[in-house]
Amino acid sequence: MADYDRRSGGSRGGYNNRKRRYRDDDEYDRRPQRRRYEEPLHLKVRKQLLGVAESPLKKTDEEINSIAKLVVDNYEDTEIRNQFLNLAVQLVVEQPFKIPFIAAIVLVINPTNPKVAQEILAKAGIAIREHLEAGAWREVKLVLRFLGCLQGLLEGDGVFPILEELFSRAVDLQTASSEDSLGLELVKIILLTIPYIMASSATEFEEQTLALLEKTDIIASTPHALEALVNPYPGNDEEDAQEPQSVIGLLQRQLQGESQQAWKLACIPRPWNIAKKEEEGMDAPAAATKHALPQINVPSPVAPGPRPRLPEIYFSVYADQEIETVPSTADIASSILRDSLIDTINILDFNRNATAKFLIDLDCYFAADTFVKRATQFDKLRNVDEGRSTWKPEDVAVDAVFSQLLQLPSPEHKLVYYHSVLTEACKVAPAAIAPSLGRAIRWLYKNVDWMDLELVYRFEDWFSHHLSNFGFTWKWTEWVDDVQLPMVHPKKAFMMGSLEKEIRLSFAARVRGTLPEPYQPLISEAKEKDTPDFKYNSAQMSYSEPAKEILRLLRAKAPEADIQVPLTSIEEAACSLGVTDPLIPSTDAYVTTICYLGSKSLSHVLSQIERCKDRLLSIGTQSESARRQIITSVMDYWQEKPGVGVNMVDKLLNYTILTPTSVVMWALGDQLGKGEGLVHSHIFEMVSSTVTKVTNRVRQIVMARNAAGLPADQVAILDETLTKEREEMGKLFAVIEDALVGVAGGSVDGMAESADQDLKGEAMLRGWGRRWLRVFRRKMAVEEAWVQEMLEQGAQAQAQAQAQAQAQAQAQAQAGSMEGIDGPGNGGQNGNGDANGGAYGGEAKDEELDEIL
Amino acid sequence: MPAATQTTVDRLDKPSAYYLGRNKKRKYGRDRDDDDVGRERTPEEPEDPLKDAATLYVGNLSFYTTEEQIHELFAKCGEIKRLVMGLDRFHKTPCGFCFVEYYNHQDALDCMKYIGGTKLDERIIRTDLDPGFQEGRQYGRGKSGGQVRDEYRDEYDPGRGGYGRAIAEERQKEEDEYGKGR
Repeated sequence: MADYDRRSGGSRGGYNNRKRRYRDDDEYDRRPQRRRYEEPLHLKVRKQLLGVAESPLKKTDEEINSIAKLVVDNYEDTEIRNQFLNLAVQLVVEQPFKIPFIAAIVLVINPTNPKVAQEILAKAGIAIREHLEAGAWREVKLVLRFLGCLQGLLEGDGVFPILEELFSRAVDLQTASSEDSLGLELVKIILLTIPYIMASSATEFEEQTLALLEKTDIIASTPHALEALVNPYPGNDEEDAQEPQSVIGLLQRQLQGESQQAWKLACIPRPWNIAKKEEEGMDAPAAATKHALPQINVPSPVAPGPRPRLPEIYFSVYADQEIETVPSTADIASSILRDSLIDTINILDFNRNATAKFLIDLDCYFAADTFVKRATQFDKLRNVDEGRSTWKPEDVAVDAVFSQLLQLPSPEHKLVYYHSVLTEACKVAPAAIAPSLGRAIRWLYKNVDWMDLELVYRFEDWFSHHLSNFGFTWKWTEWVDDVQLPMVHPKKAFMMGSLEKEIRLSFAARVRGTLPEPYQPLISEAKEKDTPDFKYNSAQMSYSEPAKEILRLLRAKAPEADIQVPLTSIEEAACSLGVTDPLIPSTDAYVTTICYLGSKSLSHVLSQIERCKDRLLSIGTQSESARRQIITSVMDYWQEKPGVGVNMVDKLLNYTILTPTSVVMWALGDQLGKGEGLVHSHIFEMVSSTVTKVTNRVRQIVMARNAAGLPADQVAILDETLTKEREEMGKLFAVIEDALVGVAGGSVDGMAESADQDLKGEAMLRGWGRRWLRVFRRKMAVEEAWVQEMLEQGAQAQAQAQAQAQAQAQAQAQAGSMEGIDGPGNGGQNGNGDANGGAYGGEAKDEELDEIL
Repeated sequence: MPAATQTTVDRLDKPSAYYLGRNKKRKYGRDRDDDDVGRERTPEEPEDPLKDAATLYVGNLSFYTTEEQIHELFAKCGEIKRLVMGLDRFHKTPCGFCFVEYYNHQDALDCMKYIGGTKLDERIIRTDLDPGFQEGRQYGRGKSGGQVRDEYRDEYDPGRGGYGRAIAEERQKEEDEYGKGR
């Protein structure tokens, strides 16, 4: 972007600045000009506050004192005051790592100017009330953390009453439903606030904390009903399943452990200790001005927030190494670091460079000695003195990104965001990050056999995308023994899938060049060919003459009637050969011709499909098997580049030339074999993107009906459509279920006979069946839960809207505006990447939806 | 709390300085209001043609990058509605840029954040929000048919036809006049 960045006017005078080519002329003086004016103080405050604790070269104590002095000395200046107060509260929710340091500034200022703390508490109070009303629970948690750090200057019990209130809401939610996960979220917030209170300058809250911990235990330690659904390591067979560790259960145990160690909480920074030191030097009573926390009520019932949740499982790619490079799950640091990291990553999705910088500077924001020095090599960890930390900051950071990338059912942002964060971090500090990524990749690869299948494909997708950003360099020699594995082996399938995806981002010859000799056979010569052959050019092919005629006619853009002639001749010939559905060979010829004519590029094939749309549409209505032949022909033509084929199938779905069911029947019926079809990553891609199209359509309808201010009759129409679409969705999932149950149970035709010949292969195929089944059962459960929850929210919002409208109408008869209502139903637009995925059915369906509205 | 008008770190899903510069000049002539560039666009600005923009201009592509490759990468941010390759005005061959149109505005913003500035075909690509593709814009506006930047570029870029065309021409002329190796 820098190459387009233009300085405006100035030294260039009236010169026509648009002609970029003159930019490097000598007359254009790029030397930096000395700043000619003193920077206004409020900007200085802003700059210092934004940068607090960021640099490992500056002493954080001095930074804090300097900001405190600036603010105290100039507090009468409204600009400075507002700058400080607003920015401090904004930083709390945007850059969570800095919360303790901002709290420290307030604590340092308090003895000299108690008004500052009072005003900032007021601001924080307003902020937290807004977040509570909106159900923005992450922000609630962060503001609470800030207040927790300030516990030492709060009157009475400080933040404890809020925690108690949150807890009673959690109890309400938990008693109302056993599947509730919002209550868990509230308990998690409580548990994550406690360490900061206990590390704060406040003392004598042990008893209250212990009492609270005792209460949260029942909720936090009970395994959630839906935990199994989101377990990243379900295992291939029942016996190798890993017990999922719920984030909240871990937290509860870690806090109880910490309570027995006098709340050491070693990793939390305590920048307020400088404030304490200063206090000691001053007259005690004046220093100890305490403030009341502004009134904060937790609404009842609480607002659910924009994103339906499922229980969270703790995930680490650095588990069981010989030397601990990340805190073990027994240590509270694992939760504290992870929580701050995840928030930082997810909040700053709008600037991945900033996120990457935070990840790399992680050690600046926690207590000294929490980590080893940056970029310490793994082998050097052996030389670390006994009793000192061996945690690598880059491992801890990378681990957090993977926990999001591989979160089930889906992380907050699109997966590609987490790719980009890792890419960026690797670019900024390759020496530190790249080896950590290497160990993460090895660990994931080792566990590919047991991982949830959806996660295997996410790993594959990230791996290939990441390599494409770094010259496709990977030490393939490490896995060279696995090249010999059979295709049905999960590791081999992963290898094949990754190479295929690399090729899709680049080209076959390039990827081949990065592979050691034993891998060469994995990339066939045929993949390097740009345009696959037109099979009917071979005289041995049946129907080759009429097919060539179709090619000639389509190329010449001949009228439909002319094209019908060779098609009919194929069908007649087929009939005479006893083919049961003569439409199949003619469809094959027609679709293969379209593929061939459109092989030059995506645009070519799209315009070709557009031209042939009507005939293609009519094929499906005449015969379901001919409709599936369309897919067979496409995937056959593109067998060497299945990615192009999958893409075409996707577009054909948009044209409704194909139906979701036909795609699923094709992939999990026609192509299934004994289950071998399940090992190809492009088949999974095809099925899951088809399912996503259908589920997105349902989601869009739900969002549309939940939109604020929609008249009742339109809601009714949408509800009707919704019922229909949900039924369709259910049917589609049922088709998938039926097909997969057969493979998982080993009852597919042909499986039984060969049972003793190739036992291991059979077992693997059954494993594939089970893994697929898990993924799609989860997808169904998640979708159903989502729809259910959103409909409930919509109903609530509508009830509220009605009540408000009535109240308004009573208050002032002339103004009945409904604009101010912001029901939680709107909130669903944020977050979940899947929800924004795209429009099922492309334009046509969009318009349909518009029409309904 | 007053609505946060500016995030504590810059956003990557804002139009580039190039786009803003063009617009500003047309609208107000030159004024030195640099702060404007860093300003968060609030949703209430009705005249903003990028408010619902779902199209991106994509630059610094190799001439050899295919639509399929572009699709493969950009589909990671959402379903793509249309992809228009930038072509040399005279030769009708790819000339290193394209337009990607999504169905949703949010997908385009996400693409700015997550894909702009990363590599495709081993080149760092540039994305910019675009008010929408119009027929004719797919052609290079340089003198010799490609993009303007490929006319006068004096570094050798094998992915974009070597030296800039005008530069290459000049070199050729010099060589003809003074002999090889000068």
